[in-house]
Amino acid sequence: MTHASMPLFRSLGVVAAAAALAASAHAQAPNTLRVRLNADIRSTDPGVNRDFNTDVVALHLVEGLVGMKEDTTAGPLLASKVDVSKDGKTYTFKLRDGVTFHNGAPLTADDVAWTWKRYLAPATQWRCLPEFDGRGIAKITAITTPDPKTVVFTLDKPSALFLTTMARIDCGGSGIYHRASVGADGKWIAPIGTGPFKLGDWKRAQYVELLRFDGYASRTDAMDGLTGGKKAEVDRLRFMVIPDDAAAKAALLSNGIDLLTDIGVAQLGDLNGQANVKIDISATGNMNGILFQTRDPLLKDVRIRRALALSINTPELVRGVTNALAKPNNSVVPIVSPYYGPVEAAGYKYDLAQAKKLLAEAGYTGQPIKMLTNKRYAASFDVALLSQAMAARSGIKIDLEVIDWAAQLDRYSKGDYQMMSFVYSARLDPSLAFDMLTGPKDTQPRKVWDNPEVQAKLVESMQVPEKARRQALFDELHKRMLDDVPLIPLYNGLQITAANKKVQGLRTWAAEVPRLWNVKTR
Amino acid sequence: MLAYLVRRVAMTVPTLLLVALTVFVLMRLIPGDPALLMLGDSADAAQLAEARRQLGLDQPVPLQFMHWLVQVLQGDFGHSIANGQAVLPLILERFQVSASIVLVAVAIAALIAVPAGLIAAWKQNKPLDVAIVGGATLLLSVPSFWLGLLLLLAFGMKLGWLPVVGYVPLTEDFGQGLLYIVLPIATLALIETGVLTRMSRASAIEVLRLEYVTHARAKGAPESQVLRRHVLPNAFAPTLTLIGLVLGHLLGGIAVLETVFTLPGLGRLLVDAIFARDYPVVQGVLLFTALIYVAINLLVDLCYPLFDPRVAAQ
Repeated sequence: MTHASMPLFRSLGVVAAAAALAASAHAQAPNTLRVRLNADIRSTDPGVNRDFNTDVVALHLVEGLVGMKEDTTAGPLLASKVDVSKDGKTYTFKLRDGVTFHNGAPLTADDVAWTWKRYLAPATQWRCLPEFDGRGIAKITAITTPDPKTVVFTLDKPSALFLTTMARIDCGGSGIYHRASVGADGKWIAPIGTGPFKLGDWKRAQYVELLRFDGYASRTDAMDGLTGGKKAEVDRLRFMVIPDDAAAKAALLSNGIDLLTDIGVAQLGDLNGQANVKIDISATGNMNGILFQTRDPLLKDVRIRRALALSINTPELVRGVTNALAKPNNSVVPIVSPYYGPVEAAGYKYDLAQAKKLLAEAGYTGQPIKMLTNKRYAASFDVALLSQAMAARSGIKIDLEVIDWAAQLDRYSKGDYQMMSFVYSARLDPSLAFDMLTGPKDTQPRKVWDNPEVQAKLVESMQVPEKARRQALFDELHKRMLDDVPLIPLYNGLQITAANKKVQGLRTWAAEVPRLWNVKTR
Repeated sequence: MLAYLVRRVAMTVPTLLLVALTVFVLMRLIPGDPALLMLGDSADAAQLAEARRQLGLDQPVPLQFMHWLVQVLQGDFGHSIANGQAVLPLILERFQVSASIVLVAVAIAALIAVPAGLIAAWKQNKPLDVAIVGGATLLLSVPSFWLGLLLLLAFGMKLGWLPVVGYVPLTEDFGQGLLYIVLPIATLALIETGVLTRMSRASAIEVLRLEYVTHARAKGAPESQVLRRHVLPNAFAPTLTLIGLVLGHLLGGIAVLETVFTLPGLGRLLVDAIFARDYPVVQGVLLFTALIYVAINLLVDLCYPLFDPRVAAQ
């Protein structure tokens, strides 16, 4: 050590000692739950300029007329009950008594109508506008308020998905907020919702802090998805932006945060067995799979696509990618869906001999097929790698092209690929899950499955309310998908959370959104 | 001097214009659509078209560039596509974070490295020189993120002296703020100490071989005086150049360290913006970085006469 550096090290020692003292003084404030976000939220406007993190925060602040239940159907939330007319075109919502906004104003039917008017205005750019303006499931032709506690929605046609779509997480749960959330100039200010937490402070790129809303009027039934009884058990809920996985893990282990909600399988090994950490794992509605461009000169031959499907040993691949934590699923219908039955459980049977036979029939002679993947989603890359190796067993040559997520999404949107390993975000109703795949490629190049008969069945599934009929339609769609092989669904994603053991009451579920009400810290 | 200053400032204009044009074109050449990233995998064509129209991305690229350039010349760097924030205030806010770390770290590194390099040169090929050179080589070989993680592990997790994540601005709470930047400053200072020590030593060795040093020694001047009065001022100029380059480089953002230590600095802003294809932010940050780089180097050039009067004479 040089003479010059000695004073510096002495100074650093002093700083470190001071830091130690101050750090202990700065220990976690009582009753604050600190949760990691891997990126900052985009806005506080529910369903507008959003991503998953934005939805997570928004759903603690606002509530819709209905909310998603754990069985992925919709149940009343701000509404006490929902009546549907016989023709399926009129929905009458009775509002719960005693609900107030964060500013103390009581919730009225006028507030609901005002919020929905804003949602339906194109200038708002609400993500789910196309679902309700005639382009999607049904057009809302009128919203009326016969009395302060009743809101009536009228549709142009019946839809089995109206309530489910209202409850969608990416729609911000169609959360209702007070008109003071928006300025006189129409610009968004901040959400004044009815949720169990209210917005405290948003330090961009650092944290979003929510405060307990003492005036929250909870439902009296048990917690069920995003509905049911809710109680903010902590004074403050701080979502801390920590982009780096290693730093986030270090923060959890050093008591810098209380909860990690988005751990990858690869990270699990380091956290398992830590004395102060408990792990929770549940299946979600995300779908990991391999997409084919069915207009590709080579892959337009269904025999080659089927040969690929038969070459992939799905259980083995899923075991490898997820450490046997996820279950294989060759169906678009998520395993957590009430519509996942024996038909959906039947997938592709690994059969190398049959695959080679099909390839020979199709005249395949080892032409390379390019598969796109990315490293943002580790599972996506692992799936590509393993499927490449498995396909090679039957003589199919796959070249991997690893690109960044933005570029892959762009190529997906344009249909500009031969194959890609892709992760679809959760569409928990099977109609929505099939809808993300099927459609005319001429006008919607992102669609992987262009089959008019399938599209007709899908439209029917969106309109019929009877569960049995819908089940029959989904069964039929699944069988058709196995025949056409526009993609190979492999498994539904996992939500892995790691929490400090002092965190109590946390329950993971299919929709992935962490629910931080009814969660205590000891 | 004034003419020199004016000439140097004028020379920066084409540089910045070239940077602006290059960044603008490159950002649009890489695949990825900010509207699509904003709307996600379920967006239909009509939604995408509307979002692109609102973002001005439906205009021809040359028109977009001209529009942006005119805005920039008026001091308006536009608004972030991702969150609607005004870009220039956003850059300045994030720059403060990066600058507070970089300036302190480089100052500490220089205070250690210059004397260390001088001593190493003075004791060339002696054990002390080998130790200093070995230490410097080790420091500059270590990746900053790895050193950062090691320090986090030691002082954050094992000893529990310092917070592992978070940030408090020094202006808000100096004591708390200090806690959050000690580790990033230490990491950066250690890395840069290695770089600067090598340069300082090399420069000092060159100067120690010159005749006026031999002359000073022949006159019977003590070694400390030879080093302080004759070697240090003459050996410092190349190190100053390097400090300028290092500062310019680091002030443009220390993305890796900012990610490891969860600091809301300029580097992280740039990386996040690239992933989100947030064109106005990327363009703004890179233009700002170029401006800082040019300004720092100008400042360094203006400081040369303080150490070497021959530069002023030229």
